[in-house]
Amino acid sequence: MPTHVVSSESEIVDAVMTAREWTSPLEIVAGGSKRNFGRAVVTMGSVLDVSGVKGIVAYEPEELIITAAPGTPLDEIEAALAQKGQRLGFEPADWGPLLGEPAGLGTIGGAICADVCGPARLRYGAMRDSLLGFRGVNGFGEAFKAGGKVVKNVTGFDVPKLVCGAFGTLCVLTEVTLRVFPRPPLSTILRVSELMPEDGFALLRRLWSSPLEATGLSFSHGNVLVRFEGEKEPLAEKCAAARALIGARDVEDVEQGEIAFRAIGSGEIFVDEPYDVWRVFVPPAAAAQVAAQIDSPLWLADWAGGLLWVGALPGSDVVRAAAAKAGGYATLLRASEETRERVAVFEPEDAARAALTKSVKAAFDPLGLFNPGRMWDGV
Amino acid sequence: MKLAEPDSDIVAHGEEIAAALRAIVPDGVVSDAAGLAAFDGDALTAYRQKPLVTVLPRDAAQVAAVLRYAFEHGVPIVPRGAGTSLSGGALPRADGILLSLTRMNRIKEIDLDNRCVVTEPGATNLSITRAVEGRGFYYAPDPSSQIACTVGGNVAENSGGLHCLKYGLTTNNLLGVEIVLIDGARLTLGGKAPGARGLDLLGVVAGSEGLLGVVVEATLRILPKPPATRTLLAAFASVPAAGQCVADIIAAGIVPAAMEFMDRRCIEAVEAHCAPGYPKDAEGVLIIDADGIAAEVDHATARIAEIARANGAQVREAREEAERVKLWSGRKAAFPAMGRLAPDMLCMDGTIPRRKLPEVLARMAEMAKEYKLGFCNVFHAGDGNLHPLIIFDVMKPGELDRAEAFGAAILRLCVEVGGVLTGEHGVGVEKRDLMPDMFSEADLAQQQRLKCAFDSGGLLNPGKVFPTLSACVEGGHMHVKDGRIPFPNLPRF
Repeated sequence: MPTHVVSSESEIVDAVMTAREWTSPLEIVAGGSKRNFGRAVVTMGSVLDVSGVKGIVAYEPEELIITAAPGTPLDEIEAALAQKGQRLGFEPADWGPLLGEPAGLGTIGGAICADVCGPARLRYGAMRDSLLGFRGVNGFGEAFKAGGKVVKNVTGFDVPKLVCGAFGTLCVLTEVTLRVFPRPPLSTILRVSELMPEDGFALLRRLWSSPLEATGLSFSHGNVLVRFEGEKEPLAEKCAAARALIGARDVEDVEQGEIAFRAIGSGEIFVDEPYDVWRVFVPPAAAAQVAAQIDSPLWLADWAGGLLWVGALPGSDVVRAAAAKAGGYATLLRASEETRERVAVFEPEDAARAALTKSVKAAFDPLGLFNPGRMWDGV
Repeated sequence: MKLAEPDSDIVAHGEEIAAALRAIVPDGVVSDAAGLAAFDGDALTAYRQKPLVTVLPRDAAQVAAVLRYAFEHGVPIVPRGAGTSLSGGALPRADGILLSLTRMNRIKEIDLDNRCVVTEPGATNLSITRAVEGRGFYYAPDPSSQIACTVGGNVAENSGGLHCLKYGLTTNNLLGVEIVLIDGARLTLGGKAPGARGLDLLGVVAGSEGLLGVVVEATLRILPKPPATRTLLAAFASVPAAGQCVADIIAAGIVPAAMEFMDRRCIEAVEAHCAPGYPKDAEGVLIIDADGIAAEVDHATARIAEIARANGAQVREAREEAERVKLWSGRKAAFPAMGRLAPDMLCMDGTIPRRKLPEVLARMAEMAKEYKLGFCNVFHAGDGNLHPLIIFDVMKPGELDRAEAFGAAILRLCVEVGGVLTGEHGVGVEKRDLMPDMFSEADLAQQQRLKCAFDSGGLLNPGKVFPTLSACVEGGHMHVKDGRIPFPNLPRF
């Protein structure tokens, strides 16, 4: 497939105008770390390589915002923020290794398009809660902007929300502005071991409903993992309060706990395992029941139970049915290309919703030029 | 601002439309002039317009039937909650149905296990907190009209409040909605499970000002109530010092629960009104709340006080709840205090980069001389959301026009310094004509195409948000659905 390498918004406009002329679709790629996530793009066109549209445009720590070109590596953004004692709120995870790519390839644009959020989503919100504004090129070949560059804005439709998790099916991003958060100086991770799932999830929800503002509440292999962050004294008080709330059980301080949370966000335990990997989104109170129904040999939970990571035998449809029954849904994050042709990667939509999705897609990209078929047939 | 001429054809069929709505909602249609007077506008008081007819459905099925009727007959429809919009979002049309959701005010479910409340749209904002506070929870978005404003209106306007920097706007606390589309189809977006299951349509419905669909149910995130709150008052001899203090607090990694700035004019007005005890010689004061667990709040207040003093402030901490309430009473009385100085008031709502505050205040003082009008400023300093209050007398010839021109100049200034036209009040009719100051033609065209994806006939809340009405086109052709042409009375272009 031919590849267009672009390095500016005007070059992207040119590439889209050419694609329009020939009605020749574009697969939009930057770092390429998540190319194996989603349905295979209908590839009778070209690859649009936007990795050269990169660099931090403006970083204003006192305004709590950063503006960058979408091809900027996540590592570069996180390093710049760390220098000023700040960070991204949604704790982007690196899904590269899980998807068969090297680590460290991810870009901020890719994280936005795939809505990559890690354990801290629980406390600071998802990608969509951080993206304040963007510039992009739509399928008409027009450069446009939406949202703003301030933390509080309701001017016009909140289009930034819509591009988060849209997998590049609506427009090609050319600049993004994100809200950032202070980085607490210290963190403590507590572990409670040997819990049955039912009890583990109940404990997660008790902590979640307390005012202790945990920034991580996960469960795997019988262990509840809790992360608190802050200044020294407040942190000590939170941990003491958490221990009191947990009760008589043994509570251990985990050394290297940050590594444990990074592994949870990136689905590390599945990397070398033969399973398909699902992300199952459920009402937290239904997590234990859904996990029991799926009965997977390898799974873990994050976001106080709202997210289950599930390993399943290739092609299994148990996962999606169990999620749906509990009022949730499931995304097939990793599977062979063959499986992804057979099994819907994203939750299938009913007729009314599918019609609206298609209308929205057409409002941005009526010719279906951008990543066609990546999410569903025609989108 | 000029409102659109009503469609005389629709107006002529008013009785027929009212009769059709009565068949759907037998006990909830208002069509007599006296009754309609109660629905002739919202909190943007300069504009008054009676609707053709008001309908007050009791459930989602009736809402769907009303929308279906409007769709089939090409009648504009304006959704309305409590009518507290400051931007004219619920301003009726003489040729349109006003759809009031206030009778749908039932809280349907309190689900503490999933930390959420499911409610009908007409429930008031405050009623959500009232329903869960006994169990130690609350609903965070707290627009100042929270005793009256409804959840449905909050979703439509993406309402904010004093605590947005730490807790977000409505959209960040909204888990799901059921909406009715213009053709009567009902759709659930989001829910108790996290994430968007596909395109984040919930994200774009929130804050869409009633242009995309009508919310008939909302699922709201509730938060555990912080065990401790402490309040500081910091008084500054200059505005730049106050601005620097705000920047330093943020740079120190502190996210206060609230951080409110009032300028000298505002301090004078509230002191005359309710004497909250602010230093009268100050050029500006900050009222700062820290909340959380006790040790965290102690740490934050100590740091904030230190930073404020380093910026030359006199700092006072409220020692007890009564004093805390008193410190806040001045901020909360800013509106009525200014209201005593003149019969009419415009409350503007731009957001600016925080560091631009001194520059913006100085330029506004210059503008006030030019427009010969009184004004003052309250500022959600944490998130840069500026609320200039302009006072005038609508009975004095030319004053409304001057006030609107002054307001528009302020908002243009907000955009010029890198900010936006509205931080939490919405565009509505008030800021509609300023949209081209912030957005290019391509930006607005993209938003209007999104509108068309939901409402190709342009029937939902027409005349709001967008300065010009463009007919929806598909591939260069006029969109014709089921044989009907949208806007049949408009010249084709």
